[in-house]
Amino acid sequence: MEFLSDTVVLSRMQFALTAIFHMLWPVLSTGMAIYLAIVEGIWLKTRNPDYYYHARFWSKLYLLNFGVGVATGIPMEFQFGTNWAPFSEAVGNFFGSVIGFEASWAFMLEAAFLGIMVFGWERVNPIIHFVSTILVAVGANLSTLWILTASSWMQTPTGGEMVNGKFVVHDYFQAIFNPFMAVSVSHMFIATLETSLFVIGGISAWYILNNRQPAFFSKALKIALAAAIAVAPLQIYIGHLSAEQVYYYQPSKLAAMEAQWDTIPAGQSANWSIVALPNEKTEKNDWEIAIPNALGYLLELKQQLSAPVRGLKEWKPEDRPHLVGLIYYSFRIMVGIGFLLAGLMLWSTLQWLRGKLSAENIAQQRWLMRAWIFAAPLGYIAVDSGWIVRCVGRQPWTVYGLLRTADSASHVPATNVLVSLTAFAVTYSILFIGYLYFGSRIIRRGPRLDLPIPGVETKPAVDTTPGEFVPDERPVEAQQ
Amino acid sequence: METLSYFLPQVWFGILALFLFLYVMLDGFDLGVGILSLTASTEERRGILMTSLSNVWDANETWLVLMGGGLFGAFPLAYATILNALYIPIILMVFGLIFRAVAFEFREQAQRKLFWNFAFGAGSFLAALGQGFALGGVLKGIQVNEAGQFIGTTWDWLSWQTVLVALTLIQGYVLIGSTYLIWKTTGELQETHYKTAKIAAVTTLIGAILITIGTPIFYEYARERLFHRPQVYIFALIPLLGVLFISLLIRSLFRKRERAPFIWTILLFLLTFVGLAMVVFPYIIPTQITIYEAAADPSALVFMIIFIGALIPVMLFYNIYQYIVFRGKVTGGHYGE
Repeated sequence: MEFLSDTVVLSRMQFALTAIFHMLWPVLSTGMAIYLAIVEGIWLKTRNPDYYYHARFWSKLYLLNFGVGVATGIPMEFQFGTNWAPFSEAVGNFFGSVIGFEASWAFMLEAAFLGIMVFGWERVNPIIHFVSTILVAVGANLSTLWILTASSWMQTPTGGEMVNGKFVVHDYFQAIFNPFMAVSVSHMFIATLETSLFVIGGISAWYILNNRQPAFFSKALKIALAAAIAVAPLQIYIGHLSAEQVYYYQPSKLAAMEAQWDTIPAGQSANWSIVALPNEKTEKNDWEIAIPNALGYLLELKQQLSAPVRGLKEWKPEDRPHLVGLIYYSFRIMVGIGFLLAGLMLWSTLQWLRGKLSAENIAQQRWLMRAWIFAAPLGYIAVDSGWIVRCVGRQPWTVYGLLRTADSASHVPATNVLVSLTAFAVTYSILFIGYLYFGSRIIRRGPRLDLPIPGVETKPAVDTTPGEFVPDERPVEAQQ
Repeated sequence: METLSYFLPQVWFGILALFLFLYVMLDGFDLGVGILSLTASTEERRGILMTSLSNVWDANETWLVLMGGGLFGAFPLAYATILNALYIPIILMVFGLIFRAVAFEFREQAQRKLFWNFAFGAGSFLAALGQGFALGGVLKGIQVNEAGQFIGTTWDWLSWQTVLVALTLIQGYVLIGSTYLIWKTTGELQETHYKTAKIAAVTTLIGAILITIGTPIFYEYARERLFHRPQVYIFALIPLLGVLFISLLIRSLFRKRERAPFIWTILLFLLTFVGLAMVVFPYIIPTQITIYEAAADPSALVFMIIFIGALIPVMLFYNIYQYIVFRGKVTGGHYGE
């Protein structure tokens, strides 16, 4: 257990743990905020009370999610200083500024208007409320913009140079619009939207399957599906662009993603492995199943590579990413989920076109509904896998090619980090279980269809009996 | 360029002081209400306490995130060194904030509320304690090498002086929390907080007196600064004004005013803040690192003024708007819808 006395390793574990957990919540707040704005917009346009109740119901889950998101996000900001002080000092000029932008442009906007969005239904008029909801969505998504800008800069640092161990910026806009920025922001933006759509769709499918207000929830499912028709294929395309960029800018990461030990020269074709057992000691894959000549098609949409794919052996062991197996499989999990979700979207669209998703028929689509429930957590797994590929694949650098991870960590006693790491592990587990438990409770209670509708005096002509309470016997993980 | 590298750090010192003051004032009453919730006699009362914060706590806490981000960008060396040196107080604060944040949502959904009640109250206390030790630790000074990096040890921030600062800050939060509740509630609950406000006013005053006397005795840099003409006249003015404000505060409490106690408390906070800033300036880590040494590149500071500074009026505007939307007394005890 040598790593227990290694501050750098422990700090990395702490950052990885807090980041992997934290990511689960903003993924939903940024995507779901857009969904809430859409639903509220439809309500204002059609005045159909169902959409108003959808806005009310999903915003409860949103609020729960946001609370845990804030709670898990605050440690992220402070960790740069507590655990990565040399890094903070070296790159504060640019990286620190961008973290500041996130707080001022994005988080403040979201936090301030969230209060009005959730508690202000009877205090402001519907138009101001709608504007508030839109501003929450804008704020949440500006967070994606700035955080991904900061992260992309760590991958492809441009706009300045290292002078005496400090990054000096020559051109801020060049640093902001670094090579990875546009594609990374889009990839993450679509990822949050896609994850949220399948969570909303999956929860709706659960109600439909349990025959609780199937007509009401078929509306939510169809909005999610309609959006997924655009989003799911788009994500596959942007994911491809992202991989191309890695191929070009971070060859050592690409080599790890593909567990490619030997260089393939330009002009040749190469096999693409689906499953392999990478072995860092022997510097080869112990076994693999590969598709002949496929790598060129994947990277450049043609058989012969126009540039070499460099193998891991080209770098000295201390200059290349480790945990090759983790990077390799995380990448495959992410891609696999992307295709699975697109497939589910296609299947559902087909049934929609055949008229099987109408309010009367939808409850008969039992396997389709089960598939949506199964798909609900997949987006989260894909997002975290993607981050593992992105950040573990960047090693041994914190700022690619400029600053090593080993030189980035604070000089704090390993014991301190071990204690805080353990405390984070315990606390985040409590939060995770609590979130699933209380989230599933909100879901089991179902929407309240007796709330007053702003601007409407009489009671609405909808079914106001709350759905029957059905205790959920399944394990907690399956309930979301 | 010379004047720029002199002027810009001062602008950023001012902006960060504004963020920190807004944070201490707003999350101050927020954390204070949290600590007071430990004394709430019934679930109904605790519900009202939490409802009084429901729509503002996250925006209030954002000023801390903003302060952190601003410090990171504008004074990276100070950000790195302070947080590195104060590892334990910062972690304490972070865990306090985690538990109180989730307690808002989890408590409302939970059938057995005991654990989350405790998480909310104790989390608020822990966050305030961590902040108090961090403040005390910075005032005490941080050991650094020539490059300004932290070279001290894990427990440097802990001494009886920092304990005093931490306890006083907690009392201050309880005071501003009590006066906020006087403003936002009615009836018996309001009566209770007239009492807690009186007690907290006295304990805060004792702490403030001890710190005011102790600082020049124990910290040489403060002594040099304080007893130097002409500053000594300004510094003499601060305790005098402090006594005036605290008398007005106590009078307003006895006369059962509803808003005045909160306003006098804010003025007291402001006064303390100005006093501290004057003792510390131009250092950001007292007698070790000045704001000029810790500042980022002038270009970075300009860049941040454009992207963050320009937004300050907008942020203030919509935060005030939000307080206007939710003005008035808190009635129900239900967080959520």
